[in-house]
Amino acid sequence: MAARVLQQCARTLARPSLRLSSGNLAFRAAVAPAAAIHRPLSFAADSRRTRWVGQSRIPSVGVLCRQYGDLPPLTIETIKDRVMYVLKLYDKINPEKLQTASHFMKDLGLDSLDQVEIIMAMEDEFGFEIPDAEAEKLMTPEDIVQYIADKKDVYE
Amino acid sequence: MAASTRAQAISLYKMMLTESKKFPSYNYRTYALRRVRDAFRANRKVEDPKTVERLMEEGHQTLALIQRQVTVGKMFSTQKNVVEG
Repeated sequence: MAARVLQQCARTLARPSLRLSSGNLAFRAAVAPAAAIHRPLSFAADSRRTRWVGQSRIPSVGVLCRQYGDLPPLTIETIKDRVMYVLKLYDKINPEKLQTASHFMKDLGLDSLDQVEIIMAMEDEFGFEIPDAEAEKLMTPEDIVQYIADKKDVYE
Repeated sequence: MAASTRAQAISLYKMMLTESKKFPSYNYRTYALRRVRDAFRANRKVEDPKTVERLMEEGHQTLALIQRQVTVGKMFSTQKNVVEG
């Protein structure tokens, strides 16, 4: 009975303002599940700030699953976006000339040292190390996307 | 340059950059990164095997120096610079 009353109170309170009830411990406990439900929404809003474009349209993760510190799942599209984003920020690449198929040395006029730095930027971005032997084969943004997708077990 | 020395030079470059990034002090960090990049770029046309060998040796010593100085730097924490945010 008491639980029902509390739940009702929480429901009426949760709508207008969550902040209002923060003074009362009992209410705070009751409101907690409501806040949890709101969490994914705020995450979707958050996605604009960090650059996870297009992450919010994953409904299966939606309602009650809290995502804690975990990253949104990778897809080929998001990997591609992130790779292109990192490349655009690299000062020696002209963002207008950059295509997914452009060769770093032939099309963009970079040298092997620049290529090493690009690979290091990718390591920082995706948080894993790329061995030298494989790094030297990655010469286009496409290659990098494919390599990362293979490593992270992402398929179409 | 032979393929093996080339691979060695590239791996040395990468190691020096990763180690330089670990400097806690902003000034040392940016200086080390800039110095490593400039030095490699200045010597990228070197073909003579003797010179290459000497430069590689110098590079390895500098790498050791960077690693030492990073460790020393971590013992004496500095305040964050204004530009670091």
